[in-house]
Amino acid sequence: MKYFLLKYPLEKLFHGSLPKYYHQLRKVHLIGMICTLCCCTDFVEIDAPKNTLVSETVFQDAATVESALANLYYNLREGGMTSGTYGMTTVMGIYTDELDYYGFGADYLQFYQHNVLPINGIVSDWWSQAFQLIYATNDIVQGVRASTELSSMEKNRFEGEALFVRAYLYTLLVNLYGDVPLVQTTNYLDNNNVARSNQDSINNQIMEDLERSILLLNSMEPVSTEKIYPDEYTVKALLARHYLRSGNWERAVTISSELINLFPMESDLNKVFLKDSKETIWQLKADNDFPKNTREAQQLIIQAVPSQTYALSNDFMNAFEPGDQRLMNWTRSISDQDSTVTLYYPYKYKAGINALESFEYSVLFRSTEQVLIRSEAKARLGELEGALADVNLVRSRAGLSNLIAHSQEDVLEAILHERRMELFTEQGHRWLDLKRMEKAEEVLGDIKANWKNTDLLLPIPENELELNPNLLPQNPGY
Amino acid sequence: MTKFLNSKGKTPLLLILYILSMPFLSFLLRAGKILDPPQATITGTVTQYTGVPLAGVNIVVESKYKGAISDLDGTYQIEANADDVLIFSMVGYKTQIIQINGRDEISIQMEEDVTALEEVVLNAGYYTISDKKSTGSIAKVKANIFDKQPVNNPLAAMQGHVAGVNIVQTTGLPGGGFNIEIRGRNFLNGVSDPLFIVDGVPFNSQSLGASRVSGQIMGGSISPLNAIDPNDIESIEVLKDGDATAIYGSRGANGVVLITTKKGQSGKTRVEAHVSTTMGQVSHFLDLMNTNQYLEVRREGIANDGYGDLLNDPNYDFFWPDVKLWENERYTNWQEELIGGTAFRNNYKLSLSGGNDLTQFLISSSFQNETTVFPGDSKYQKANIRSNVNHQSENRRFSINLSLGYTNENNTMPTVDFSTKAYTLEPNAPKIYDEEGNINWENNTWDNPLASLDETYNAEINTLFANTLVSYKLTTNLKFQSNIGFSDYRLDSYRSMPSSARNPGLGVTPQNYSNHTINNARRTSWIVEPQLNYKKGWDLWELDVLVGTTFQEEVSNQLVQRGLGYPNDGLINNLTAAETIEIFSDTDGEYKYNALFGRVHLEFMDKYIINLTGRRDGSSRFGPGRQFGNFGALGAAWIFSNEGFFKENAALSFGKIRASYGTTGSDNIGDYRFLDTYSVTGNNYNNISLLEPTGVFNPLFGWEANRKMEVALELGWLKDRIFINTSYYKNKSSNQLIGIPLAATTGFSELTGNFDAEVENTGWEFDLRTINIQSNKLNWKTTFNLTVPRNKLVSFEGLETSTFSNRYVVGEPLTIAKLYHSLGVDPQTGEYTFEDYNGDTDITSTEDRQWIEDLAPTYYGGLGNSISFGSWSMDMLFQFKKQMAYNTLRFVATPGFKGNTPESLYDRWTQTGDNAPIQKSAGGLAGGQDLGALQRDSDAAISDASYVRLRNISLNYRVPSSHSDLDFQVYLQGQNLWTWTNYDGPDPEQPASTRLPPLRQMTLGFKISF
Repeated sequence: MKYFLLKYPLEKLFHGSLPKYYHQLRKVHLIGMICTLCCCTDFVEIDAPKNTLVSETVFQDAATVESALANLYYNLREGGMTSGTYGMTTVMGIYTDELDYYGFGADYLQFYQHNVLPINGIVSDWWSQAFQLIYATNDIVQGVRASTELSSMEKNRFEGEALFVRAYLYTLLVNLYGDVPLVQTTNYLDNNNVARSNQDSINNQIMEDLERSILLLNSMEPVSTEKIYPDEYTVKALLARHYLRSGNWERAVTISSELINLFPMESDLNKVFLKDSKETIWQLKADNDFPKNTREAQQLIIQAVPSQTYALSNDFMNAFEPGDQRLMNWTRSISDQDSTVTLYYPYKYKAGINALESFEYSVLFRSTEQVLIRSEAKARLGELEGALADVNLVRSRAGLSNLIAHSQEDVLEAILHERRMELFTEQGHRWLDLKRMEKAEEVLGDIKANWKNTDLLLPIPENELELNPNLLPQNPGY
Repeated sequence: MTKFLNSKGKTPLLLILYILSMPFLSFLLRAGKILDPPQATITGTVTQYTGVPLAGVNIVVESKYKGAISDLDGTYQIEANADDVLIFSMVGYKTQIIQINGRDEISIQMEEDVTALEEVVLNAGYYTISDKKSTGSIAKVKANIFDKQPVNNPLAAMQGHVAGVNIVQTTGLPGGGFNIEIRGRNFLNGVSDPLFIVDGVPFNSQSLGASRVSGQIMGGSISPLNAIDPNDIESIEVLKDGDATAIYGSRGANGVVLITTKKGQSGKTRVEAHVSTTMGQVSHFLDLMNTNQYLEVRREGIANDGYGDLLNDPNYDFFWPDVKLWENERYTNWQEELIGGTAFRNNYKLSLSGGNDLTQFLISSSFQNETTVFPGDSKYQKANIRSNVNHQSENRRFSINLSLGYTNENNTMPTVDFSTKAYTLEPNAPKIYDEEGNINWENNTWDNPLASLDETYNAEINTLFANTLVSYKLTTNLKFQSNIGFSDYRLDSYRSMPSSARNPGLGVTPQNYSNHTINNARRTSWIVEPQLNYKKGWDLWELDVLVGTTFQEEVSNQLVQRGLGYPNDGLINNLTAAETIEIFSDTDGEYKYNALFGRVHLEFMDKYIINLTGRRDGSSRFGPGRQFGNFGALGAAWIFSNEGFFKENAALSFGKIRASYGTTGSDNIGDYRFLDTYSVTGNNYNNISLLEPTGVFNPLFGWEANRKMEVALELGWLKDRIFINTSYYKNKSSNQLIGIPLAATTGFSELTGNFDAEVENTGWEFDLRTINIQSNKLNWKTTFNLTVPRNKLVSFEGLETSTFSNRYVVGEPLTIAKLYHSLGVDPQTGEYTFEDYNGDTDITSTEDRQWIEDLAPTYYGGLGNSISFGSWSMDMLFQFKKQMAYNTLRFVATPGFKGNTPESLYDRWTQTGDNAPIQKSAGGLAGGQDLGALQRDSDAAISDASYVRLRNISLNYRVPSSHSDLDFQVYLQGQNLWTWTNYDGPDPEQPASTRLPPLRQMTLGFKISF
């Protein structure tokens, strides 16, 4: 309990000026003190209202932490870089050679035409949403660690999931924006003027987060049989991706091999994206009420021509080898009334808005990608045979003959091609591949008239630079 | 004592117990008194100067705490010693001190106090002070002002009476709200409402209305102050400057309004009955187009859109039913139909009062029934019961005052205000009822406005106030007192929307449309304020010291829910019958407040006065470590007319210079804003509902600060028959709580925090009171007040990048509107043109809205006259305001759309070369930009809305009576009877076309007491 005295303004104003009465004032002062014996800060402390929860309270109950985690997955599905609507699937699709853009959105046109401005709405939305979720993961990590009510099992799972989401968002941010701020606290005063960290330190942090996450989630019972929450294997899948990107080939091979064994590839192309697909490692469950299925299907399936927003580019369609079953099963065409225009659209997700049931969820990690990761890692290690075997695994499922190649360069070229045909319009893989294999300029330079080398990174949102000058300088070229 | 200290939350409870046990303490003290010497009984009569008996005069024996009150016939009886001294006193009369000198009959004449200023005692909340000795700015509105006005809300009665206080009625409907601003707007965000205190209990004036329920009829605002019957008010004091408000610390920034209710008078038990009837009507109708004008403009507009050919094709008739399907000769004055009725209000009041010199009581109850100017039988009913008991012990050491008030309001209004429809319905719209008396839908070609009478809006409000004030004189100089107050405000309102109220052509059914929205809200608060008061006088000095502390807690909760889809409309009021129930909000809030306050008042030789006040406040609305704040003020006055060199001056009878400087704050920002919170969003992932971070922990969240400075000169001439009070104030508000944009890396886009923006309010206030004629029969008094305010945003760092960039400009008032600059109609094209500020040949929202107009009044005030002649008396008040406001162009600027418009739009451009004020008509069917929308947001939509209004006039006749006990008065009162204005719109006081303007009202009433 604290006492406070009536020091202001009585003493301050009277002192010196009216000394004659000062003794009397001291008497008053004393009376004041007696009066205030019962005044205390405790009185003005209140409980939280019922429609909101104070952060601290959230982490005293497993159910409310579940709700805080659910917020992460919901937001990954509905907004930002991973969303099916304006996420990397579509936007990086038009930025590369996968998709053509037929809409009128200025922000999208900037991506399509490679003249992205720092005021671009998508650039700033991806940025904001990512940090909003990073704040949420930081608060969960911090809250769960401090919690006194959760069991250690619960703590492990919650922290593991939150660390994974944080790492996942950072892998995407680093890929898109280069050096970004490393935010690990919830203190807005620090985070409001945080500076950018170099990619190495962010990569180290990603690695650290993922390794800790694996430890925490290790051999934990799955929360759901639908693979809609990230688990130990999801973390490993991201880790394999990350090792490949950072050149840690041996480890990439080890981890992807483990996952390939656990999540066998679906032999039927039409089952790959169903919600109970065997090869799915992690997917985001679709909304129960609407659209019941994926935002991707809603976005990419063309209902009528001309009212399309996206269509597969000719360049991409021409890249299909004759006999590729994926052309038949994973794309569709549609023509206008006079049949003068025919457009192709991705048909991996087939359940559109009219579907009455949930058939498909948005897949973020599947084992075919792991096969291609292992293939690439082996190729880098010089194990060309093994690398080819993995590529041929993917090819044979698509009904294509086995490839024979001799040089490492040829094998890598084949892998890049295979990734293109296998992973198209899935979370912007094409862009990440072109960057990783340093082929962006070679491939896009011809297609995109405005191509510049500096297009490898997106600009830091203009508004953010204004709010926090510590983020300066802007990425080159913007 | 240590236990007492550790008992935390129980301390207020212990305090209450302690205070409640005080009476017993006082009786113990009384038991030991010494026996008095033998007494003589003294009788006599007290009369006025004219010989009329004077009742209610207080007669006290100086040597003891003993007294009597003169009866209605002026007689009194008192026991005293032969060598004692009697003191006769009464408000408004000079106090007389009479030596008994062994007499047993003493009759005296009381002399009216002409200046009366010495007797005006101002209630400053925690203390009282005579007007002459006051160092602060406190305006008082007395009961006689409220008694003479036929209004429903105390704020309505104050309009025009107080300098520096700007009150605007938001709707002419009974039970609606008022906006009040004392000395301008201080804060960028949040409310400008002052702190209201009713009989010592802070009364939250914030509406608990839900816009989903009452938005379309009351604008969501339901003033809790409606619960106070203006006739129950003894006085309202408005505390304006730092000296007066600093003792309210963090809640004083926007000023303080103290409402004191009437108390019982000692003397014979009296019954007073009061009955009145009021008729109210809309005072001004807009000039709208008649059918011919309307149809001409419509046809022209459709042709201008390029559909002139289709107009003749019967296949397209359904596009323009007003032109093709409805009778073209029909004319209805919809203003007459929809808002042209007469609203009646009947008021009944009965009160009982009386008591002796130790105990007085007052019990009053009133009932009011008020209808509207709308069709239908909507009504507002208010029942009110109030009691006040005052008691003091025989030795006058202990006193207790209990005041209780309970009000029930029941407001059944239509769900929508018909004003908009009255101004916009097509003049040839079909008749409301068909031959059988059913709602006419005219083959489903229109939305019958009266169908909404099938919908129900109801608000039931229960308000309870209770306050006890106990005081005990510990010694001659030291007094302990405390008030213990409680208030409970409940609002239960609903809105039912049955499908039967909708056009059958829409195909709505009870299952897919009918809905019922309910708002249940409640707010309770309690307050305990123990105080110690020390008063002592020496030869030249007077000292008055006060120390006190406040504990207050307020809890509020609100549940807004809607039932949707019913088997049939008859079941609509039963939520269990609803197919789905949606919860819109389920909120609660807790507010705790703790303070220590004090005052030192020092007078030297009746000439030099210093008043020092301070408060340390703690509020639960702020983060740990920031909960407490210090506030204080210094006020000083010099009564120079009491100086020796002025005594000889016959003309100047009173002269005072006073000045004050003080700091106050505002915590009026809502609860829990500093917390890091998670909120339920309503979405889910895998059927797990989401919790989203919605608040970032902000320990720096602190008070908004407000510094008030005032200098005033008070002058009285000719025994104060002419009295002028001139004051100048300068208030600066800083540390503004606003949304500060955050970098995305924080996880949030905005944070409510203290921002370094400063708002300055300066102004002059003049108050003039004159007693023009004073004689036995004829009396004439005049009051006049004038306020010249100025508001300025002094600084705002980063305004351009903030969310306020389109609203405020540094160096301009907060009340500005940023507009397009209209350049009139291009005679060639017939379209509105605007100044292209950025020269990009395109008129775009932010860059080209550079024209600035201030919507705050330039000056305002009131002129009152009060004349009494024998049994007759007359009072009138003119209110005036110089201001700019949105005119009718704000609502519609292009003629030819479906729906009627002001007749002024008929003067439109029709052919090349026309110089017309209005652009060519359009039917609203062509695509592209409607320049009328820009015109509505331009300076052309703002014009002079100054007015002079006969706010109130009252004529009172006291019927001569042979029986001295009987008092019978008849009166006639008028409200808003006459308005002089050039304003182009419904009413200059409330410039909106969607709300019913304040009504013109006439009241006839009588009052009888015996």
